[in-house]
This record gives sequence, structure tokens and C-alpha cells, in this order.
Amino acid sequence: MFPTVPDQHKNGKPLVPNGLGVLYVLFAIVCLFLIYFFEIESFASVSGISAPLTLAVCILFGGFMGLLDDWMDLKWRYKAFMPLIAALPLVYFAIGMNVRTSIVLPFIGSVDFGIWYFYLIIPLIVMIVTNTVNMLGGFNGLESICPAIVLLGLMSISALTSSYYLLMVGPIIFWLILAALNLKGKIFVGNSGSFAIGMTIASFAIIADVKLSLLISIIPYIFNSSLILLTVFFTHKKALIAFKNNKLESNHKRSLVTTITYHRPLTERKIVAIVSIIVTIFTLLAIAYSFLSILV
Amino acid sequence: MAIREGKLMSKDQINSGLKSFGKRFKFNRSSVLVISALILILLVAFTVRILPMRWEIPSGQIHLNEYDPYYQYSITEYMVDNGLFSPYTNNWVNYQQWYPNGLNMRMSLPALPMTAAALYQVVSFLGINVDLMTFCALLAVALGTLSCLVLYFIGKDMGGRAVGLFAALFLALAPSFLQRSSLGFFDTEIPGILGLLVFVLMFLRSMDPKRSLRGGLIYSIGAALALAYFIAGWGAAYYILDLTALFVFVLVLLKRYDRRLLINYGVTMGLGLLIATRVPYIGLSYLTSAPVLPVVAVFIVLLAAEFMRHNVFSVKNKMYLVMVSIVAILGSLVPLMYFGYLGDIAGKFVSVILPGARENAPLIASVAEHRIPAWGNLYVELGIAVIFFIIGLYFTLKNPTNRNLFLLLFGVTGLYFGASMARLLVILAPAFALIAGIGIIGMLKPFMSLLKETPTATVKAKRKLLRVNKEYSIIGILLILVMLMTQFAFNPTQTSMVQTGQVQVGGAPRSYANGYMPTAISAAGLPLVPPEPMPQWLNMLKYTSNNLHSTDVVVAWWDYGYWLSVMGDVTTLADNATVDAAQIENLGFVYMSTEDDALAMLSTYDQKRVQYILVFTSLFVYPHNESPTGFYVAQYGLGDEGKWVWMARISGGAHDRLTNEGFMHPGNTWSDEMAFGKSSDYGWEWSAQGINSLIYKLLSATEHAFANKTNGLVTATSMDVDLQYFEPVYISGDDTSFGSYGDLIPVVGLYKINWAAYNAAHPKP
Repeated sequence: MFPTVPDQHKNGKPLVPNGLGVLYVLFAIVCLFLIYFFEIESFASVSGISAPLTLAVCILFGGFMGLLDDWMDLKWRYKAFMPLIAALPLVYFAIGMNVRTSIVLPFIGSVDFGIWYFYLIIPLIVMIVTNTVNMLGGFNGLESICPAIVLLGLMSISALTSSYYLLMVGPIIFWLILAALNLKGKIFVGNSGSFAIGMTIASFAIIADVKLSLLISIIPYIFNSSLILLTVFFTHKKALIAFKNNKLESNHKRSLVTTITYHRPLTERKIVAIVSIIVTIFTLLAIAYSFLSILV
Repeated sequence: MAIREGKLMSKDQINSGLKSFGKRFKFNRSSVLVISALILILLVAFTVRILPMRWEIPSGQIHLNEYDPYYQYSITEYMVDNGLFSPYTNNWVNYQQWYPNGLNMRMSLPALPMTAAALYQVVSFLGINVDLMTFCALLAVALGTLSCLVLYFIGKDMGGRAVGLFAALFLALAPSFLQRSSLGFFDTEIPGILGLLVFVLMFLRSMDPKRSLRGGLIYSIGAALALAYFIAGWGAAYYILDLTALFVFVLVLLKRYDRRLLINYGVTMGLGLLIATRVPYIGLSYLTSAPVLPVVAVFIVLLAAEFMRHNVFSVKNKMYLVMVSIVAILGSLVPLMYFGYLGDIAGKFVSVILPGARENAPLIASVAEHRIPAWGNLYVELGIAVIFFIIGLYFTLKNPTNRNLFLLLFGVTGLYFGASMARLLVILAPAFALIAGIGIIGMLKPFMSLLKETPTATVKAKRKLLRVNKEYSIIGILLILVMLMTQFAFNPTQTSMVQTGQVQVGGAPRSYANGYMPTAISAAGLPLVPPEPMPQWLNMLKYTSNNLHSTDVVVAWWDYGYWLSVMGDVTTLADNATVDAAQIENLGFVYMSTEDDALAMLSTYDQKRVQYILVFTSLFVYPHNESPTGFYVAQYGLGDEGKWVWMARISGGAHDRLTNEGFMHPGNTWSDEMAFGKSSDYGWEWSAQGINSLIYKLLSATEHAFANKTNGLVTATSMDVDLQYFEPVYISGDDTSFGSYGDLIPVVGLYKINWAAYNAAHPKP
């Protein structure tokens, strides 16, 4: 029932159903609605803003944006700025819940952004996370497993201080199922999936107030996006990867993946494993850092 | 067998009968669906607006909401008693307001009270016996619902019936509009929005090139009548005048001028303004007020365009013409401005254009509905549908027909005004509803057309999608519907009102929360949702109405002026009409100064008339183990104990005048609230001057009256004070049991001024 696209990195380029991330969106929303309805965990606040519903709305935004992209190939300038709309519920949530407006940076200390946190930092976080997560993909499992690692990390960090992690238990299990299928090359999550999971990560980090951990975990993503954008900006060249004898190889370093496969032929599975390990290392770093900062 | 045959026969007969019936009325399935959906939407609109009635039924009468509606009600009542034009023909001055000068009731817009009075007389003539206040309260609901119906037709013209339905639904549940058209909100917005929408509908139809010239003219005349009604109904009419002028001007710039535009614009604006200037209070000076001038200027532009079209001038002459006209316009503006013929734009309108200008005007800034909403509040107001709004803007931009152009200008200017003044969000509501409707339909269309197509492969294969199936578009539609659902059912935000009882966090959108809010007077002026109507204010008004003479002046802060003069039947010094800023400054001075100075000020009025002073406080009862009864009581901040800051600021703004007039003197002088204390971690700490102020003493006395009456509660925030010249007459709400309403208790205190004691202490020289 889903549109199919050819799997470029397989012999014979078999057709694989794409855009199954939409299912994640629907499942996550239903999950969060149920949490809201049955008050499984009360996230009560004076201002009357519901955390599960805010999260649901953001995921919905992300999924919808991805769907539009899958549907009509949005231009980059739209894709880059559309998440700003999705930041609105989060901005309102942050103001209403009176969350900290400061970010504690290692070595620098606490930086208080004041009201700029609401009107500048939150939209920026949403925009950057959503787009960078969307940019690292294209291999079976890459666009689904790596965000799952980041999200699991953030959930365990937030579990130290609050019960917000409960919101994500259902959605992450469903996402992991999709990731397993994706890894096997049975499905693609599509832009609807990668935008939705990017939005999930960003909004969860803001709602659960684990911004620094988010920043540490997505360093590989930021590295990848900066590399891509900088090369496009300076040399007007896109990252390309050659597929030969079931192995992938590149002759330039214009993205994270091409850096890994630079004159080093690797199978698709191996590339995904290496990137996942890098992301895991940074996520573990984030976890270790928050553990330490709580202990100290 | 015979029976069976008979049955068959009748079935056939029924079928053919139904078919012919259907043919006669040209019903098809889709129009039946649309009509039933529209009826449902209107039903929702009506029901949500009428829900606050549950708090009105127990008190036996439906009250108006807020404060201003009581003013409109008083005019309506006068019209019902003395004739529709009586306030103007009788030169009515209401001496129960703004003592001693009275309030000139000619200075009010007639559309709303006249509509209400006329309809009330029709209803009474039909033999339906209904109380006038109830009728006015329900009229707001009815006209609000009617506005949704009008918006359906506008939407239908813009993008088909589906757009109309969505637009009507969005408007029906738009929080800003809902709040201002729900039960008891009998105020100028009601005829305003209705007039605005009818005007937009008629004007856009008159421009429709498919219509004959005669049909277009009829619609222009209709638009003119709606415009006149709007101008006579709401001060914000300047907005639509200038919007229309801007729209026509943009059309000329886009070279879309045709003669019909000139005729329609001329007829609509000319006739509309002509009728409007016949309305008392508006008068001919309306035409020279600055916001109306662009209307004239655009008319001149249209005439110029008409001339240009005929190529009567060479290019060189055209250039001369343009230059001469620019010089002429500028040249005529300067002397007009110099001699003051350009009417003053009221401070309110300036402050919309320049939100910063308001900081200097505490009188305007102190009104909540004039506050500048933060951007975050726009999201609360518009909800998740902002995404559809933005998409809709994109669609209208891509297809800039005349209608869409109007809509675009309407939406963008509405957004600006809504962002600069909370009250004007109501103007944005219809534009938002229309654009969001267009956005939704624009999004759904490709999915729907795909659903109807045969499932062959589509060509859209630039990068990824090779084949798109029907089911995929079902998911797209589903997602859009879920987004709408979060807009109308699972909204993550909710009003931050003080709730009583268990209420789920988030969830209900503001529009529904509004349905569960009683009218202000039934909630005793507090933003509470009590289980039953709160009688404190109603009892006080009943008391003054039964025991005081209507000529007795009750000193009260201006917020309660209309309640006291209309419901309480006494005379007041000030109310929301804010016609005399100096009097409000004096009133602030009375409350903020010492007892002696306050009475010195009040002595400038007639001591025989000014007999009473009123104070309103909200008290909070909370458990505390140091108290013998286990409870403390403290002032909560929703009554005068929160409003005194404005009293201090407004009177402090007149520091120089009050000093010159000898009222402010060393020891009793201030320019803002900082003279009366400072804010600390524990709240406000009163200074010595603050503790000596009349407002502090009245609040404390009222708080103690409550604390002593209910089993000796200990007061936390204020010391016991002795009032020198004031004696409590009636403390309404002092017997409220403190468990009710979530431990928040409104108390209204009425004090009699002891002039004899004052005069004895201050013998006249």
C-alpha cells in the first residue's frame, strides 16, 4: 500500500516500500493521547499545559512536514524553516512551564539566555535537530537506528530527574520495530519518518529539559551537516558514493559517510554499524556527563 | 400474494415520490451533506456560546458579561422606554454616571442598542414575554452564530462550499470571537463583526465580473448599508475602510483597474459614508478624520486611472499630472493639519500602530483588553491551525485573484493588529478562519483527487516516488484530520484561569473553556469557575439598589462603575467610558492618599451627595499551623488589592496638577506605586505611606471583617487598622464559608463616609 522506491545499495535495486514513518507518527500520537486520557502519569502544571499533547502535536507537525516532502519534494529553503512553526507549541510550553532559560555548558558554565531562550534558542534547536537528523540517512538502518540511540540516551538521562521518559516508551518500541525492518532492507521510513523522529528528539529534549545532553549526543549529526553544507557552500559539490560489488566507496570527504568510506570500500551494513557506534559513543558521553553532574 | 404486491406498489410509490420531491428542490447528496454540516456547525457555535447559562439560571435572571455591556444595556433600555432615537433627540445625559457632569449618552454608537431595542419590540409585539437583559444576553449569541453563517457564504465564494464550512467552523470556535460573542457579551463587537462580514461578502460579490452590472450595483448598495451599520456599530470601522481603500489601491497598482471598480467603490463608500454621517455622534466630522482620508484619496486615484485609460494625455502630460496631484495632496494636507481640521485619531488607534506609545498612557494600558499580546499568545489563540494558515497564505499568494488579494490583505493586516492589541484579535478571527480553510482544502485536494483516480502509476518521479497508491493518500488525509482534531479536541494548552475542582491539564481548547466560564458578575468579578453562581457582587448591587437613593454617589474604582450605576442604581464618579481622565486621576488620588486628604478631595464634590465608598477584595484562605483555627487569610490580588497599582500610577501621572491644586503635599505625594512600598520575596511590603493610604485601610478593614465573622481567622497580609471617617455599612461576602470556591473568597465592602467627624476635625476657615 505504500509507494515503493528502489534500494540503491543492493544488487538489482529491489523495490522497497517507503514512507512507513507515517505509521510511527500515528502510533506515537495515539500513544500520547492515551497517556493523556488515562492520566497514566500526571504531568500537572499550574499553567494548564499538557506535556503529552504538546509532544503529540510536535510529532504530528514533523510527520506532516515529512509527508509533504515525500509527497512533493519540498525545496530546501522550505524544509529548513518549516520546523519553526512546529517550535510554537514548544515555545508556549516552555513559557507556561517556566522552564530554565539557561544551558549549562561544560567548561563555560551556565549561560542564561533570558527570553531569548524562548524566542531564539528553542526554534533554533528544533530547526537544527530536525534538519540534521534528516540529513544523515540513505542507508538501510542509518536513518532509523541512530536517532533511536540518541532518543534512548535522552530518555535514560531524563529518567534521572523526571518521569517524562514515560511518554516515549511506547513510541520508541514501535520505532525500534520499524528500525529492525529498515535494517533488514524491508522498508524505508522516508522523510515522514526522519522528520518525525527528529522532531520527537528535539521536542522531547526541550520538554524534559535535557538540552545539553541533546547537544552532546547530536554532535556527529552536526558534524555531518556542517560538512555537507560547507562543501556545498564553498565548492558547490554534493557528496557522492559509488556502489561496486556490494561495497560502497568514495573519493572525497564531503559528509560523514563519505569520510568513513574514503578510499575504503565498506559494505552498507558496516557503514551503518560504524556510524551507529560513533553516535553511541557521543550518547554515552552525554549520559556520563549528566550522571557526573548529578553526582558532583 | 395480494398483500405482497400491495407492499411493492407502495414502495415504488414512495420511491418515485421521493425522487420527484428531490427533483423539485434540486437536492443532491452533496448539498444535503453540506447543509447538514452547516447546521451542525451553527448548532455548535450556538451551544458553545450559550453554555455559561448554567450559572445564570439559579439567580433567576440572565446577566450580561463583563462591564461594557451594561452601558450598552442602559442605552437599549432607554430606547425601549422612550423610542429608538430618544437618546439623541432628547439630548440624554445620564447623571447617574460621571457625577457631577453626567455622561453624555449622545456620544455612543447606536447600531447595537438600536438593533436590540428594535428586535426586542418585535419580540414583545409577538407576545413573547422576556426580560430585556435576558434578551440582550441572548442577542449576542444569536448574532455571533449568524456571523458564522455569513462567513460560510464568504468562504463559499472564495473557494467552494468546503472552504466555507471550514471557515465557519474555525470562526465558530475561534477563542477571541467566541469570548466576545458568548452569552451576555452585549458589546460593540457583535454588530461590528456581523457588519464587517456582510460588508466583505457584499463588496466582493459586487466586484465579481461574472455578475451583471445591475447585480453588481445591488450588491454595492448592500455593501454600503452593511458598511454604514458597521461604522455605526464599532469604532474599529476605520479598519475596514482603510483595508478596502488599500485593496482597491493595490488593484490599481496591479493594473486591474476597470470602470466597474470605480462604480462599485464609489457607490459603496459614498453611500455607506453618507448614511453613516447621518448617524448622530458620528456626524460630518467623521469624513475629515485622518483614517477616512485614504478612502477619498483612493477615489481620486480611481478617477485618475479612469482618465488615464482613455489616453487623453500624452506621456509627458501624464507625468505632469502625477506631479501636480502629489503636490496638491501634500499641499492640502499641511494646512488641514495646521488648522486642526484633521480630526484627532483617538489615542487607542495610535497605540495600535505604535504599541510603544502605550507605555506612556497608563489609563489605556491598565485595561486588559488593550494589552499587547505576546507572540506565544498568538499560538494559544490560533492553535495548531497556524500551519494551515501559513499554507493558506501560500495558496492565496500563488493564485492572486481579486478575492484572494483581498483575503491576503485582510489576513496580513489582521495579524498585525491582532499582534499589537489583544482586543483586535477578534478582527483577525474571520480572516484566519478563511485562510486556514483555504489552506486545509488546498492540502486535501491533491490527496482527494488521487483517491478518485484509477490506481495507475503517477508521473511524479523526480527523485524518489515512483508509485503512489491510494492508501498513501488516505494516510495524508488522516494526518490532516488528526491535526484538526488536536485543534478542536486535544489542544495542548488551556486558559490559565483559576480552576476549581479536578480539571484535566490541557486538553480542552480555550474555546470550550470559555463555555465553562460564568459571566463576570456571576463569578463575583473573579476569573473563577464556581459550582454555582457567586452572589457577593449581586447581593451588593441588590443592597445598593434597595437601600440607597439613586442620587447617592458611591465612590468606586472605575471598573465597577457600570455595574453600580446600571444594576446597583446609584450614582458613580467614573466607569469604563473614561471620558474624563482628570476625574479618574482624582479617584486614584482618593484611594491612594490618607483619609484626610481623600476626604479633602471628595469635599470638592457635594458632601451631601458623596456618601459612600466601595472596595472589592479577593481573599485567599490557606491552612497554617501557627493560627489557632488552623487557617490564615490573605489578600489574593484579583480585587482592588491588585488594582491599586493602577490607581497609584494613574494619579501619580497627574502629580504636577494635583500638587498645584494643593492636594498632593510633602508626606502625601507620589508619582507611581513605588512610594507605597517595595516588592520583596514575600510579596509586596507596604511602606509607612502605603499603610496610611485609604486603599490599604479599606482593604484591611474588609479583610478583617471577613476574618472576624468566620470563626476568627488570622489575617496574614495586613494589620488591623482603625478607620477614622469611614463606617462599614454592608460587607457582602463576609459570611461566605471559606471552603467554597477553592478557598478564594470575593468580598465587597461598602463604607459610609462620616462627614460630620471630618468636618469637625477640619473646621472651615
